[in-house]
Amino acid sequence: MVLGEWRAQPGRTLAAILAIAVGVGLGLAIHLVNRSALDEFAGAIRSVSGAADLQVQAASSAGFDEDLYPILARLDGVATASPVVELRARTDGGEPLTVLGLDPLRAAAVTPNLLGGGAVGGGGEGGVTTAEAVFDLDAITLSPAALQQSGLRVGDQVRLSAAGQSASFRIVGILEGVSGDRALGVIDIAAAQWRFDQLGRLHRLDLRLSPGVDRSAVERTVQANLPAEAALVTPQSEMRRTESLSRAYRVNLQMLALVALLTGGFLVYSAQSLSVTRRRPQFALLRVLGLPARGMLGQVLIEGVVLGLAGAALGVVLGVALAELALRLLGGDLGGGYFSGGRPPLVFTPVAAAIIFGLGVAIAVLGSLFPALQAERIPAAVALKTGSGESAETAGQPLPWLSLGLLAAGGLAALGPPVGGVPLFGYGAIALILAGGVGTMPWLARGLLGPLRRLRSPAPPIALAIARLWGAPRQAAVALCGIVASTSLMVAMAVMVTSFRGSVEDWLVQILPADIYMRLDPGLTLDPEAQARLAAAPEAAAIEFRQSFNLRLSPDRPPVQVSARGQAGAGAGEGLPLVGRQVTAEGLPAWISEPMARLYDLSPGDRLTLPIGPGAQAQVTVAGVWRDYSNQFGALILDQAAYTALTGDAGRAEAAMTLAPGVEPATAIEAFRARLPPSIAGGADFAEPREIRAVALRIFDRSFAVTYALEAIAILVGLAGVATTFSAQTLARRKEFGMLRHVGVRRGQIMQMLATEGALLGAVGALAGLTLGVIMSQVLIHVVNPQSFNWTMETRLPWPLLASLAAALVATSAGAAVLAGRGAVADSAVRAVREDW
Amino acid sequence: MPAGPPPLAPPLKIADLAKSVPGGRLLFSNLALDMAPGEIVAIMGESGVGKSTLLNLIAGLDRADAGRIEIDGVDLSTLDDDARTGLRRDRIGFVFQAFHILPHLTLAQNVALPLILARRPEAEALKAAAAMLDQVGLGGRGQDFPAQVSGGEMQRIALARALVHRPALVLADEPTGNLDPQTADVILALLCDQLRGSGAAAVIVTHSERAAAAADRVLTLTAHGLVAHGR
Amino acid sequence: MIPRRAFAGLLGAGLIAPATPGLAQDRTGAPVFAPVRPGRSLTFPADHGAHPDFRTEWWYVTGWLQAQGQPIGFQITFFRIRTGADTRNPSAFAPTQVIFAHAAISDPAVGRLIHTQRIARAGFGLAEAKVGDMDIVLDDWRLRRVPDGTLKAYAGDQAFGLDLSLAPTQPPLLQGERGFSRKGPRADQASYYYSLPHLKVSGALTREGRRIAVTGEAWMDQEWSSTLLDARAVGWDWAGINLDGGGALTAFQVRDQQGQAVWAGGSLRGPDGRTTIFAPGDVRFVTRRQWRSPRTGARYPIARDIQARTPAGPRVWRLEPLFDDQELDSRPVGPVYWEGAVRTEGGRGYLELTGYDAPLAL
Repeated sequence: MVLGEWRAQPGRTLAAILAIAVGVGLGLAIHLVNRSALDEFAGAIRSVSGAADLQVQAASSAGFDEDLYPILARLDGVATASPVVELRARTDGGEPLTVLGLDPLRAAAVTPNLLGGGAVGGGGEGGVTTAEAVFDLDAITLSPAALQQSGLRVGDQVRLSAAGQSASFRIVGILEGVSGDRALGVIDIAAAQWRFDQLGRLHRLDLRLSPGVDRSAVERTVQANLPAEAALVTPQSEMRRTESLSRAYRVNLQMLALVALLTGGFLVYSAQSLSVTRRRPQFALLRVLGLPARGMLGQVLIEGVVLGLAGAALGVVLGVALAELALRLLGGDLGGGYFSGGRPPLVFTPVAAAIIFGLGVAIAVLGSLFPALQAERIPAAVALKTGSGESAETAGQPLPWLSLGLLAAGGLAALGPPVGGVPLFGYGAIALILAGGVGTMPWLARGLLGPLRRLRSPAPPIALAIARLWGAPRQAAVALCGIVASTSLMVAMAVMVTSFRGSVEDWLVQILPADIYMRLDPGLTLDPEAQARLAAAPEAAAIEFRQSFNLRLSPDRPPVQVSARGQAGAGAGEGLPLVGRQVTAEGLPAWISEPMARLYDLSPGDRLTLPIGPGAQAQVTVAGVWRDYSNQFGALILDQAAYTALTGDAGRAEAAMTLAPGVEPATAIEAFRARLPPSIAGGADFAEPREIRAVALRIFDRSFAVTYALEAIAILVGLAGVATTFSAQTLARRKEFGMLRHVGVRRGQIMQMLATEGALLGAVGALAGLTLGVIMSQVLIHVVNPQSFNWTMETRLPWPLLASLAAALVATSAGAAVLAGRGAVADSAVRAVREDW
Repeated sequence: MPAGPPPLAPPLKIADLAKSVPGGRLLFSNLALDMAPGEIVAIMGESGVGKSTLLNLIAGLDRADAGRIEIDGVDLSTLDDDARTGLRRDRIGFVFQAFHILPHLTLAQNVALPLILARRPEAEALKAAAAMLDQVGLGGRGQDFPAQVSGGEMQRIALARALVHRPALVLADEPTGNLDPQTADVILALLCDQLRGSGAAAVIVTHSERAAAAADRVLTLTAHGLVAHGR
Repeated sequence: MIPRRAFAGLLGAGLIAPATPGLAQDRTGAPVFAPVRPGRSLTFPADHGAHPDFRTEWWYVTGWLQAQGQPIGFQITFFRIRTGADTRNPSAFAPTQVIFAHAAISDPAVGRLIHTQRIARAGFGLAEAKVGDMDIVLDDWRLRRVPDGTLKAYAGDQAFGLDLSLAPTQPPLLQGERGFSRKGPRADQASYYYSLPHLKVSGALTREGRRIAVTGEAWMDQEWSSTLLDARAVGWDWAGINLDGGGALTAFQVRDQQGQAVWAGGSLRGPDGRTTIFAPGDVRFVTRRQWRSPRTGARYPIARDIQARTPAGPRVWRLEPLFDDQELDSRPVGPVYWEGAVRTEGGRGYLELTGYDAPLAL
């Protein structure tokens, strides 16, 4: 019976299965891709931090005092400490790479994979071949990726620039232990300190603990011995940090998977409702023949389970394939730009797959529950006697209290806090609003169609269409729920992305007021003399010099970006896109970005300690909060004079130049470059705000490209659902059309009627979808985004998109109805109205 | 259409009609039938003999292999689909075994359907429908929905719909087939009553001897055409 | 010279730059190693301390312990190596000096050596060899001389630990010409070398976390040099035996490819303190029995006679190992060699046999 029913309605069944499959597939694919990327990323971290049990990292690129090394090395429970100087360098070919300065003898015991071939003292074969490299201060060992990108070979000389210094090294080996695409070079720690001006400084201490010690006790002891400029990092906290990098982006993609899955659920509901309606006589007969009402319920639910299993199974296959494809085409961040390079191998996680599979089945069963209850309540006698397919609906539609309750609950849930950094309540709110919104559909449809009924003598087909829609709103709702669900979620996403993009565009204009921006390569700085020479250029009306660096304030969080800026005489807060109130700070003012304010729970007036420079501790007061989309993990701006006073660092690596009237940017750039010291001129990048804006928006669009593609898929699934539901409903009305043809309705008029019905339904669906979508977009904008990205934005509606979406919906609905109607009004079908029993 | 004097032309005139099923089997040939205005003809016959096909041919929903059908003096073969549809709308009323009442329209709207389709002003149509409902014993229930009525009442509505536009000819296909015997008798009596009151002729296809007995003439459909029942 | 004591692989060509005495170090940054010359008199305690100007130096303690009535051999060895690293590098990490150490015990009940080793570049107080008196630190390992002249030694890992006091009972024994010890036919192939035989041992041996009190008798050598072995040398043999009654026998030979002695030497100090220094022709190693290592396939002459010409006429000491398998595999840091407790009639000590697995690549 189940199979027979599905064989009778293959399209609708298939659409429901596909929708579930797409939902499960997307959800799984997003999870798998992210898992794989994280594994790869964690692998990369492991290969850089080696198998260290604990790691102490510098809060900033200035590092920490090397005296920490013997202190930690002597702690009880620490078996070996391996000191590391970590530098961002470039080869003379311009390729960036990370250079680690290691003591191979210490690293051998802690991070043997960072040594070429087998490691000295680390056990294993081949130590003799690399023994020459040990302590060879002119030797470098490169990771396969670094070799590949520079095109160099073992035995070649390579010249590296880092921290404003450069030095030449002979490539003596390959770091086979460093996997993936990580460009890494290892030199002796003494060479790193000496050649790259890092005397007395370290960036990392990798610790190996003695076997059997209480790890947390050692962590506490280590922690107690750390200066402010260093922080303890465990592999776990590093993982958390990595995960937080991409979580916000992932949240968006998972939202889309949820869209597909919910749409699937509603399509299952449509398919099952129709199928139950169609089988009313059949069910009635079964009831008469003695099947208990529970049996009806059971049968429809089992059908739901089978649909769900089929869809979810297909979805798992789809998800794995999609993940594989995505990894190959887009990389581990799905184009989001969070993980550099690298195509990680797919990591399949059975538990996650099982959970998502189960979710797919559950949604299919849930979608079948209402039709099942409906089947259970079929009054056997009436159904048999009338033989009518359509369930009768009474004139009055009561206010849908349950649905209104769901909507209210959704509104309340939107006020909830994030749970573990994830806006669970926000998502709950969206789900509740969606369920409530779809629940109000019959009532809404009737409300919207009411005015049409008062039309003065419309053409008969239109009158019939209106009468039918108004008279059978629940049927209309069945047809619409899938599309309302997918449309509203799509609209929500689209509004959010548009708002985001618009806000970013505005912000870019606000944050980049100067005419030209200059940035020096890592390690290069302009001393005050060079700054003065540059500022004296007649092409410049004003130049604001800036210095920025990363500062880690919490071991579990990515570092915040600290910038020293502001022109003489003007505060650093001038021209920032400030949000909220400002205070006049007592003491040293700092302006923090919105993400930082949220991440570190700071508001204007709060005080904060910054571990700036060697041993320095700066107390600053939050003077204001500014909008920032460029750094998700927080940014802080200090007055540059105060920064210099605090750190003694008068060097600047960035500048914002306002040009004198009438000066062409290109001319000015040439002039500025000519005024730079020769050693720096080659490492200076100039950019105009226009280019920066274009690049920023390109990155933005790239990271949302996948989002757009997935949106399109979900819309298509929704439209396919509408089409199949309409066909089914239309086919079920063959006899109605037959009667109408008998009593004198022309074929064309029936088409008109169907087209009108379809268009009206589409319009109602679009209106409902858009309304719900805009409401849900507000949850995304004001709850989900701030809670996961820590930034806010202003709502902007993508009118062209919304209009074309509505038009597409109306057209598809009308088209699907007409297409289905063509078969239903054929002569043979018309004659079916009379049957010989 | 307002009640007027009975039309001069015969409501239905069939001559030399022949029809085969798509497979090639001949259903009937040389079928002829002349009906007088107001005459009620019952057609009986075994299942599969082509009773419904004959009704379809009369309604202009199917094409005959040979022969000619005139309704109210109009030769169906001279009309295209739309014109035949128009003819059905204006000149023919239908009563179906399964009622075919639209569930989303009120009873009055269901009854008024032929008038609305003929673009009569809505108020006039609904007034006529109300009057019609009155006549079939459902006075005052025009605003009810079909879900609220019983099977017998459904067929009353169908009857009202068949007659509301004063057709020359009513085609009824097993009008009591879905009803219990008591209700069937009541409906049958009502049908004949109303037909006679309106002056419309009717062709009733039925298995029921009781239904047939109410007709002026009872014919049996055979492969050789219509023959008097009982022969 | 690079000596009897084996550590080589690590300290290969790259680590120890070819000595180029006389070149100004401020121009290329290459270190200038101090030469070993005869006539320098050793002064203590200063010469117990490190001599960082020389290329290599070691403090080598070997001996016999009584642990719960059972004899157990032990060695604790610290090396200091001055590398060829650029002396101009101001970094505190500049690898100008490297400290390396071994520890091993020979327990007949185990039947093979239990061995562990450490290595680190000198600096930050984590790895240092002090100048002025004996104090060598390598993480938690240490060998130092306390004011009363006792040596305190600690070395070990998870498997075993040696925590010993070594009290001298005799004045230092100056090898060769009052501490100038020739190691090859060329005059510059020599080292400064003294020994402390008959050290009275007390302390503890920790095995698998269990601490056992031990006593015993040990021998310490300290030797420093800048010069390589002779080009023909492929290995060397060395023995240091505490003779009953207070005597001390030292014997060594440097072998060529054919197993012939390129150079030989040693000494015999009597209980009365009178010392005989052996010239190359005065001492011979004669093999009685070989043992083949099942792991490396190397054949070691583990049972040997030491024949020496003494003022009292020719003497022969028949050395018997405590047990056969005392092979020490220090790869990849060092070579594979045999370093074991041996006894003779009227004495106990240690025998070292290098260059039998593969020629020492120096």
